[in-house]
Amino acid sequence: MAEPKTLGQMLEARGISRRAFLKYTSYLASSMALGSVAAKAMAENLASARRQSVIWLSFQECTGCTESFTRSVSPTLEELIFDFISLDYHHTLQAASGEAAEEARHIAMRENKGKYVVVVDGSIPTKLDGAYSTIAGISNLQMLEETVKDAAAVIAVGTCAAYGGIPAAAPNPTGAVGVDQLVTDKAIINIPGCPPIPEAMTGTISYILSFGKLPELDHLKRPIAYFGDNIHDRCYRRPFYERGLFAKSFDDEGARKGWCLYEVGCKGPITYNACATLKWNGGISFPIQSGHGCLGCSEPNFWDKGGFYKPLPAPIRDIGKVAAGAAVAGAAAGVVSAAVGRAKKKSAMKEGKS
Amino acid sequence: MNLIDNTPSALTGVNDSLLSEIADRLGEFAQTGQSASIDLRSLPMSDADREDLKERLGHGEVMVKLDVAGLSEIWETSFAGVWWIRHFGGDDQIAAEEINIVSVPDILHAHQADARAAASRLSKIIQEERHHG
Ligand code: SF4
Ligand code: SF4
Repeated sequence: MAEPKTLGQMLEARGISRRAFLKYTSYLASSMALGSVAAKAMAENLASARRQSVIWLSFQECTGCTESFTRSVSPTLEELIFDFISLDYHHTLQAASGEAAEEARHIAMRENKGKYVVVVDGSIPTKLDGAYSTIAGISNLQMLEETVKDAAAVIAVGTCAAYGGIPAAAPNPTGAVGVDQLVTDKAIINIPGCPPIPEAMTGTISYILSFGKLPELDHLKRPIAYFGDNIHDRCYRRPFYERGLFAKSFDDEGARKGWCLYEVGCKGPITYNACATLKWNGGISFPIQSGHGCLGCSEPNFWDKGGFYKPLPAPIRDIGKVAAGAAVAGAAAGVVSAAVGRAKKKSAMKEGKS
Repeated sequence: MNLIDNTPSALTGVNDSLLSEIADRLGEFAQTGQSASIDLRSLPMSDADREDLKERLGHGEVMVKLDVAGLSEIWETSFAGVWWIRHFGGDDQIAAEEINIVSVPDILHAHQADARAAASRLSKIIQEERHHG
């Protein structure tokens, strides 16, 4: 039997209904604040799209990003992403090894020339001509250059691939850099985080597949849908911040009562990520909810910013002292209109219609 | 069980704004047929807020359970046209939760493509039965 062509046909053959597509895209559209109109369009487009060839390159990394990506897989809704992409090369996940593995990469590049997506995790060492990290006899630098040449887009997942990450921490012994410092002639998307939120990775890939274009990006090339919000603006501890109620240490009364973690070093106010809304492990919790401040892991150089437990410099405490009730109600009203505002802005995109 | 759960049990005040937003959207829907959706997952709500909103919106005449890539629950609230949609992912975690203001949520409609597949499956079954009968 000939291979079914579209994802819709492919999954239909396995008894997966269009409702499953719509449920999947509702889940993603919600994670991207795109609204139900976009979810419907996304489901239709996805059903008529073809399986996306993905070549995943792992350089100076800890495999945490891959862990996060594969942990988005519970045996139901979230695993659909693995039906939508064809992961043609991935050191850790592929069965093939040695020459057969490299051959798989070359075949995928040849057969999908100009159409495949390269995902990179890990930074690229540039000192000594890249000799600090090699795979299959070539440096990471060479492998990146060779593989992105005919790619449609490059997605740098994790803070290492996006900005150099931990390997680039001072004094950066290997000369580690992120992808966009080396690749200048391709569409690049950064999905930073240490690791990134799984939905940010699967959502971005599904978005490209559905709409055939990159999502809207911020000045650091991050999808605005996932990185457009400040942790502090979306933090459920914000009412305590507004009232000037702060934990001063990790075992004091304030910590036990769940007050704001600003004074124990929370970097939420300078961090853009979706932790406060999407949360982790299928929405169970996120660091602030389990009592630890945000580290700011989706921002460049987060490890070199003077200490995870050192409070941010700005003197903010006094703001919270005024009219607590009114301030909280005001903040809440602001949040709702912001959510609706976001929905309005996104619905104007109407990608699915084209 | 969660040993440490720092989610504040107090109401944050978000529901008052949310309810007036729902009222505005419902009014618009009643007048013009313009549907709307409000994503609850993107709002910083406490567990208490969520329970409070559920109580204030109540349950109406329709309650649906879907078994599609995991479970989903959809119910019409006590306000006609205001639906609560809750999709579960793996491990019974809530993957998406939204309020839809619409006559019938999209996911309840049978898709043409599914109907086509079902039609051919059904006629195949009938043919086979005839053949064996
Ligand atoms: S400082 Fe941190 S804990 Fe406090 S409200 Fe902001 S993000 Fe939340
Ligand atoms: S809470 Fe902050 S440090 Fe933690 S994962 Fe999210 S962005 Fe990174």
